[in-house]
Amino acid sequence: MAKIIVVTSGKGGVGKTTSAAAIATGLALRGKKTVVIDFDVGLRNLDLIMGCERRVVYDLINVIQGEAGLNQAMIRDKRVDNLHILPASQTRDKDALTAEGVEKVLDTLAEDFDYIVCDSPAGIERGAQLAMYYADEAVVVTNPEVSSVRDSDRILGLLGSKTRRAEQNRDPVKEHLLITRYDPERVTGGDMLNLEDIHEILAINLIGLIPESEAVLRASNQGIPVTHDQKSDAGQAYSDTVARLLGEEVPLRFHEYQKKSLLSRMFGGGRR
Amino acid sequence: MSLNVDRAGNAFSFKGGMLPMTVMELTSADPERIREQLVGKLNQAPAFFQHTPVMLSVEKLEEPHLALERICAVCRSHKLLPVAVRGGGEPVKQSAWALGLGWFPPQEVRPRSLETVTPAPAEEPAPVATPLGSVGSRIHRGTVRSGQQVSAADGDLVVLGAVNAGAEVLAGGNIHVYGALRGRALAGIHGDREAGIFCHELHAELLSLAGNYKRLEDIDPQLLGKPAQVRLDDDQLTIAPLA
Repeated sequence: MAKIIVVTSGKGGVGKTTSAAAIATGLALRGKKTVVIDFDVGLRNLDLIMGCERRVVYDLINVIQGEAGLNQAMIRDKRVDNLHILPASQTRDKDALTAEGVEKVLDTLAEDFDYIVCDSPAGIERGAQLAMYYADEAVVVTNPEVSSVRDSDRILGLLGSKTRRAEQNRDPVKEHLLITRYDPERVTGGDMLNLEDIHEILAINLIGLIPESEAVLRASNQGIPVTHDQKSDAGQAYSDTVARLLGEEVPLRFHEYQKKSLLSRMFGGGRR
Repeated sequence: MSLNVDRAGNAFSFKGGMLPMTVMELTSADPERIREQLVGKLNQAPAFFQHTPVMLSVEKLEEPHLALERICAVCRSHKLLPVAVRGGGEPVKQSAWALGLGWFPPQEVRPRSLETVTPAPAEEPAPVATPLGSVGSRIHRGTVRSGQQVSAADGDLVVLGAVNAGAEVLAGGNIHVYGALRGRALAGIHGDREAGIFCHELHAELLSLAGNYKRLEDIDPQLLGKPAQVRLDDDQLTIAPLA
């Protein structure tokens, strides 16, 4: 039986899709049969980040409305075995998503896959609520910034009340905090909230910390999930995150500010 | 203590009062049109027209001069008793006074009074919150998150966790927060002036006791981030460190 993980945040632009792609890729690299679903109907992005935008024929809405089969709509990742992508529709809107339709798709996928990663749209409306409704676990993506923290707090409230697990009084959705775009230098300078403050306000388990990194933008534009870039700090940080999702104990990295040495400043080196 | 100690020696005393008053908002200054409409109304609801005092509001009219005397006569002949006029310029004021009527300045659209109004509840209470009207005290375990509302309408509310920014906790009695209070806390919502708010770490967006409130901006910064208790002393919210 598959585990359903929703990647969500409330606020837009914090790195949900990047994280969904990176986590799904990381799980597949670890040998888990994984499918990642784009729930952002109307603003399809996941296919770009996964580098499969030229291979989209059918999408989630087609499947829900019975116009295509799941196997026709799912795209097999070219880089990793075990990884599939189910894209969103760019031409429909979120009203085309129905709870019954989503449930049926997830139930069918659950028979074949180990992990189903749901990439939630921003906001707290229908699309976001359906993305989280059937989840077993949630990765709440948060930037070190007050508005992002408040929106994540809001999403955590919804996870505790507007999910199937909450409505059926089952064990609650397992909530994980993923802090992205963390810049230790700016945290030290007081421009950004620090890790401890975010963790204290949201009061959930910290699953990972992704440093602000040029590698992420590069990966997005190339359509290669950053997890493949194991030379980069962000790629390594996502691998750590996936390991923790799988229950391993991995020490936290990249959260402390290391002053650049004179030499690296002179030669423009340093971490990427 | 009372200012009216020597009651026997006084012919009267002034008292403030708020009385319901029918406002007749004029959209036409033509006495004939007013009369026609009054005839229709009188047939519909004769019980209403029993020398009912009314306030004539002329705020919607643009004419500087009004046939106020004729308008009043039309009203009186239909058993409405104009007692005052609201709005209009200097000529309207003078003719109102000449007719023995009171005059009020135009009603401003002003924000509701800062000190006595209970803020409206959050627009969308989360399902975890008990609806207002639940009986007795209540213990909430865990963090109250942004957008959630938790209330104990008829008793004390105890929160074992934090109340985050954007969250709202309400109680008919006291509120105890065993964690950081970053959201809004409204105690004594039915007017209990003995109610208090107690928290481990004060960062509240809003503190309200029996309708009297303080915003985060009004709180002494020295008290922030520390254990605190909030009480009502003579309509003033008093915040003190919790020893």
